[in-house]
Amino acid sequence: MKPAAPLLLLLPALVLVPLAVLLPPLVHGGGWELIGSFALAAVTPSLDPVVLASLLRGVAVTAGMALLGWAGSLVLGLLLGAASSRTVWRTLTGSTLPAELIRRLLALPRAIHELIWGLLLLQLVGLQPAVAVLAIALPFGALVARVLSDLLDALPTAGLEALRAAGAPAPAALLTAMGPALLPGVLSYGGYRLECALRSATLLGVFGLGGLGTDLKLSLQSLEFHELWSGLWLLLAVMLALEGGISLLRRRWLVPGRFVLARRGVGERSREMLLTLAALLPLCVLVGRGLGVDPAALLQWQPLPGLGGGDWAATAALPWPRLVGGTLLLTALAASLAVGLAPLLLVVVAPVGWARQGLRLLWALGRLWPPPLTALLLLFVLEPGVITAALALGFHNLGVLGRLLLESADVADPAAEEALACGGSGPRLALLYGRFSALARPYLAYGAYRADVILRESVVVGLVGATGLGSQLLESLSSFAWDQLLALVAVYALLTLVGEDLSDRARHRWLRAA
Amino acid sequence: MAAGPPTAVLALRGIRVSGRDRPRLEDVDLSLAPGERVALLGASGAGKSTLLAVANGLLAPVAGTVLWEGQAPARSRRGRRRQQARIGTLWQDLRLIEELTVQQNLNAARLARWGWPRALLNLLLPLDTEACAAALRAMDLDPALLEQPVTALSGGQRQRVAMARLLRQEPTLLLADEPLASLDPRLAGELLALLLAQAVAPRALLLSLHRPDLLDGFDRAVGLKDGRVLFDGPVAQVNAALLADLYGGTPPGETP
Repeated sequence: MKPAAPLLLLLPALVLVPLAVLLPPLVHGGGWELIGSFALAAVTPSLDPVVLASLLRGVAVTAGMALLGWAGSLVLGLLLGAASSRTVWRTLTGSTLPAELIRRLLALPRAIHELIWGLLLLQLVGLQPAVAVLAIALPFGALVARVLSDLLDALPTAGLEALRAAGAPAPAALLTAMGPALLPGVLSYGGYRLECALRSATLLGVFGLGGLGTDLKLSLQSLEFHELWSGLWLLLAVMLALEGGISLLRRRWLVPGRFVLARRGVGERSREMLLTLAALLPLCVLVGRGLGVDPAALLQWQPLPGLGGGDWAATAALPWPRLVGGTLLLTALAASLAVGLAPLLLVVVAPVGWARQGLRLLWALGRLWPPPLTALLLLFVLEPGVITAALALGFHNLGVLGRLLLESADVADPAAEEALACGGSGPRLALLYGRFSALARPYLAYGAYRADVILRESVVVGLVGATGLGSQLLESLSSFAWDQLLALVAVYALLTLVGEDLSDRARHRWLRAA
Repeated sequence: MAAGPPTAVLALRGIRVSGRDRPRLEDVDLSLAPGERVALLGASGAGKSTLLAVANGLLAPVAGTVLWEGQAPARSRRGRRRQQARIGTLWQDLRLIEELTVQQNLNAARLARWGWPRALLNLLLPLDTEACAAALRAMDLDPALLEQPVTALSGGQRQRVAMARLLRQEPTLLLADEPLASLDPRLAGELLALLLAQAVAPRALLLSLHRPDLLDGFDRAVGLKDGRVLFDGPVAQVNAALLADLYGGTPPGETP
């Protein structure tokens, strides 16, 4: 009794059953009016020129931080990616040992969420625009490095060996043989990371690092929903323009989509790609000046508290099993919600033509709207806790997964679905059997990767309280308990690394079975 | 009221489908009585595929009427689905669902008649094994194939599974768009014979064909040229002059 592909796709949605039982007791019903006026404000955003001007400044700061953080992560990722590639070290020195070593070291910055980086840096060097930039650049750089070195090491080396045999020096041979083959993959992944960077920059703002996120949080806390929605619609326009632009370039350059579930395209117009990359440099300099980023100020560190005097007994006395358990439960709930709801909703609305567009908009809002703000909004009507946090995190990731599934379904072969519909199966079953069959395994493989991201991300909803490691971490941070903080970050990193390994295995299994 | 002739399985009257430069179909009349086996002839671009798309409801004509078993296309979604369930199409690219087993593919033809519980259960358990095995046997296939994924089948087996799925749907109108185009002559003859054997009243078969040498088992032939019906009559009347006219000089059998 092995469930077939389309059924597998719907299984994660079974998480709705326990949720339906657990959710009603959490409703305290205090703030339905607030939720109502929040929803109404969506169609009546504030058009006050003063508000709009301030929000526009916020959007510009957020976009600027995202751009710089992203550019920094690309530079960092290219250097570190080359430094952790087995092929590069084998060509240069004959040994792959340094590559293995650097690869392991890079796991640490990658395992720590940009929010934790941001808050730590904030303590270290004080509030300045460069903090958010660096907080994005460091973990993203380590992620880019990993993807790049994996891409690099998966390339066939015959061309490289031929050049070396013909006497070309190692660096020139590497660049010539590997560069062009690598470019499409790097650009595709880079484009995806720019979208992530915009979301991260907004999120960092919610935690006080500047830009639109800060405005959004203040508007929410002071219940200025009309201003809140003006900000959201602005951000939505920026995000959709960015996503549209990136997918336009992908199509123009025939670069494969980062996670399009049906792979195609090899890369074309490489000169145009390189020119676009080169044009980013002056742009980044200009944006850096506009934001007032001062690299020198990063070197003036606040005095660090001595770790020797830490209260390790109190740290050990933290309820670790409950913290870890809460974090894992939160991750599992949010991941199942996000992975399971996207196909379920698409199937449910299949007969209604315009409903797809509605879902598209809802998912765009989910991607854009930082999870901690969703959590704050949910607190108007729900008790704090793991489930409330999972709903917020799940909604955000539903936006990411839903978009991926919808875009993949749009480019997938319609023939089987058409044949079923022609034989009289309703639109829902035709979609499930005819189109989702082929997408199920790659989608679930991506879901496994996403679960790993969600685990890392679970810290951002810590502010609703009682969610495990995340809320404890934010609490320890605000009370400057450095010893606890260190232990919490270490445990978080460890969990993420284990999670990464598990999700890698799951992904390979899904894809091999496909 | 006197018993008239039996209701046509498919009746097309004055069908027109517009195209970019000229109509893809113009003033086409075609009627299939129960038990009739009709071959559709014509060069590529003559409108055979368009005509089949109108016949299976995929394409709505800009003018003319379509009647399935005497009924115009239903307005309600449910009624329309019930009509579509009685139209079986054998697609040139087969359109099997590659991720599923043979049995699940055969049962997919029942989705129009099944509710959600059975549709989902079909993805978990083997359902209606006896009926599926019978459909395979009718196509000279070993029922042991039921549990196989369709990706494990040979080209000829896939063709037969697609035909078995058609049977499993239990349609009254059988449509096929050049189903034999990519097969070697011996296999093409075998499969055509199996298909013709299934087209007994109350069923009717309309099959587009590019090889006039396979016309033997059909009752009638309809020749299309430039979107119009050039010929509609018994197979015996199809002769070399007519074929030359239909295929515009290119020898039949070489048109793709």
